[in-house]
Amino acid sequence: MKIVVGIKQVPETDSVKIDPKTNNLERSGIQGIINPFDKNAIEAALQLRDQAGGEVVLLSMGPDSYTSSLRDGMAMGADKAVLVSSRAFGGADTLATGYTLAKAVESIGDVDLVLFGRQSVDADTGQVGPIVAEFLSVPQVTFAETVSLESENTIIAKRQLDSAVQDIKLTLPAVITVRKELNNPRYETPVNMKESFEKPITVWTEADLNLDPSQIGQAGSPTSVTNVYAPTKEVKKTTILPEDPVQAVSELLGKLD
Amino acid sequence: MSITIEQNKMLIQMIKEFTANELAPLDMDIDSRGDYPDGLFQKVVKTGLLGMTLPREYGGADFDYVAASEALEKMATGNASMAVTLEGHFKTIEQFIKYGNKALNDKYLPSASKRIFAFSMTEPSGGSNPKGIATRAIKQGSNWVITGDKIMITNGGLAEVYCVLSKTEDDQLAIFVVDKDMPGFKFGKREDFIGLKGVPVGEVVLNHVVVPDSHLLGVIGQGLEIGDNAHADARVLMGAVLAGITEHELQTAVSYAKERKAMDTPLYQLQVTQEKIADIAIAKQNIQALYQKGANDKVAGKPYAEVAAMAKSYGSRSAVAAGDKALQILGGYGYSHEYPVEHLIRDARAMELAEGTIEKMNLEITNAEIAK
Repeated sequence: MKIVVGIKQVPETDSVKIDPKTNNLERSGIQGIINPFDKNAIEAALQLRDQAGGEVVLLSMGPDSYTSSLRDGMAMGADKAVLVSSRAFGGADTLATGYTLAKAVESIGDVDLVLFGRQSVDADTGQVGPIVAEFLSVPQVTFAETVSLESENTIIAKRQLDSAVQDIKLTLPAVITVRKELNNPRYETPVNMKESFEKPITVWTEADLNLDPSQIGQAGSPTSVTNVYAPTKEVKKTTILPEDPVQAVSELLGKLD
Repeated sequence: MSITIEQNKMLIQMIKEFTANELAPLDMDIDSRGDYPDGLFQKVVKTGLLGMTLPREYGGADFDYVAASEALEKMATGNASMAVTLEGHFKTIEQFIKYGNKALNDKYLPSASKRIFAFSMTEPSGGSNPKGIATRAIKQGSNWVITGDKIMITNGGLAEVYCVLSKTEDDQLAIFVVDKDMPGFKFGKREDFIGLKGVPVGEVVLNHVVVPDSHLLGVIGQGLEIGDNAHADARVLMGAVLAGITEHELQTAVSYAKERKAMDTPLYQLQVTQEKIADIAIAKQNIQALYQKGANDKVAGKPYAEVAAMAKSYGSRSAVAAGDKALQILGGYGYSHEYPVEHLIRDARAMELAEGTIEKMNLEITNAEIAK
C-alpha cells in the first residue's frame, strides 16, 4: 500500500505574533513545525503501513526550509519525502496548491491513499485536501475520526457530525483528511532521527511535474489574502451582585445610574 | 547548520515534548508514590530513549555526550528521576563501548535499547574505596564464579544487566557482566531514599554466579580504571541533571514571584526576591557551563574527569542552595508538598553523594590541580 501524507510547515503555534504596525505575522526567529493535525495523518499512515505493508511518502510544497518538517515526519517513521519547491509556486492559494500537490501525487505514481490533517493551524482553510481529491478525481472523506482498512482496496472512515455519525466506505485510491481525535501521534525516536538524514528527500520544481503553468502560483490563484490583523480584544467588566435580593437590586440600581 | 547540529536540535525538541507531555505532569506523583507509575518506563523504552547513545551497529542512535547531556538537562527540568535512570544506563553502555570485547558487545549491546544496564561498585563495607571490595571472582576453567553483595545500585531492580566490580584471587580488580537471569543472581532490598524517588536504588546478591571469560569487561586489573571512567561519564550527565533541577527551581520561583504580592507589590519587584532569583539563575548558568565543558571535552577526546567532578561538586551544592532560595521565595508554600521546590532540594541532595561524595570530588579536583 502506497500512502502519501500531505504536510505543511507552520510557525510554532505558541509563538505566533502579529506585528501591530504592519499587521503581518512575525515569522522571524520562529521555529517551523509540522502542522499538528498533519501529525495525526502521519500516524494514521504509519499504522496502516504497519498493518498492510507498503510505504509512507511525505509530500509538501514550500521553500527549502520545509525539509526540516519532512525530516521530522521521517523521524516518526515515514519512508521518504517529496518537496515541491520553486519560486513559480509562490503566492499559491488553496486552489493552486491543491492542483500542484495533485500533480505531485500523480508523479509519485501508484498511490493508494492520500491523507491530510483536517486543516492547517496558520491558515485554517481545510480546503487543500478536498481540492487535491477533486483534481485527482477520487473519492474523499473529510474530518475523519477513525480510518480502518476493510480490505485490500477498501477503507472505512468514521465522521462525527453535530447530530450524526457517518460510517463511509471508500474504494481506493482516495483522499482522507483527519481530525486530531483519530489517534495520538507517536514521538520521533532517536534512531529514526538519524535515519531521517539518510532517507531521500526528492525535490521537484515545475519542470518535473506535468503542469499547466496558468494553474500554479499567483497566476493560478483566484483568491488572495488582502489583510491579516489581530482582532481587537474587548474586555468587559463583570460585577457579581450580592445574593440578598434587596442588596442586589439596590446595587443594580446604583450601577444603572 | 551542520547535520550534527540539526540532529541534536531534533533530539532536544523531541525530549522537550516528551518531558512536557509524559514526565512533567507526573513529577509530583512520582515523588509522592516513590516510584514510576505503571507504563511510564515502558513508554521511555518504546520511544527509543535507551538507545540514544548506543552505536548504530547495535541498533542505537549514536548521539554523543553533548547531545545526550543536553537531553538529560531538558528532561530533568520536568522530572529528575527519569533523567537519572537514563544517566545510569548511558554511563554503563559507555564502558561497554570503550572496554568491551567484541563477543561481549555483540551479545549484549543489541538489547541495550530495550533494557537497562547498570554499574555496581558499592558494597556494604564501602563506596568509592576499592580496597574494601569483598566481591570475589574465582577462575574455574574458562569461566569465572562470582560471589558478593552489591548495594546502592542506580536502577537496581529495574536494570537487567549489571557490571560488577570484583576482586580476583590475586587481589586484582576486574569488572564482570552479569545478567539478572543467571542462576545465583538475586535482587535484594530497595533503598528508601528521601529524593529522586522514581529511581530504584537497590541491592544485588550474587551467589556463585558463573560467567564465561568473555564477560570480563576490559582486562583483569582494569577494574579501577573502568570504574573511574564510569564515574567521570556519570558526573558529566549528573551535572546536566543538576542544571535541569536548578532550571525547574528557577521556573517555580519566577512564576510564584510574578503572581504573589506582598503589600500590593509583586514579589519579583522586591529587592530581597530579586537577589534570590538572580542567584538561582546564575547558579544554573554556571552548572550548565561546567557540564557542557565536560561533555565537549569528552567528545573532543580531551581529558574531562576534573571538570566532570566540578560539574557534580559545584552543581549539587548549588542546586541545593538554589532550591533553598526558591523555597524562601515561596514561603510556607515552598515548605509544602503542594509545590515541587522541597522535592527538588531532596533530588539535588542525592547528587552530593551519588557517584562519589562532594568531598571525594573536591579531593580529585585538588589532586588534579596539584599535579599540574
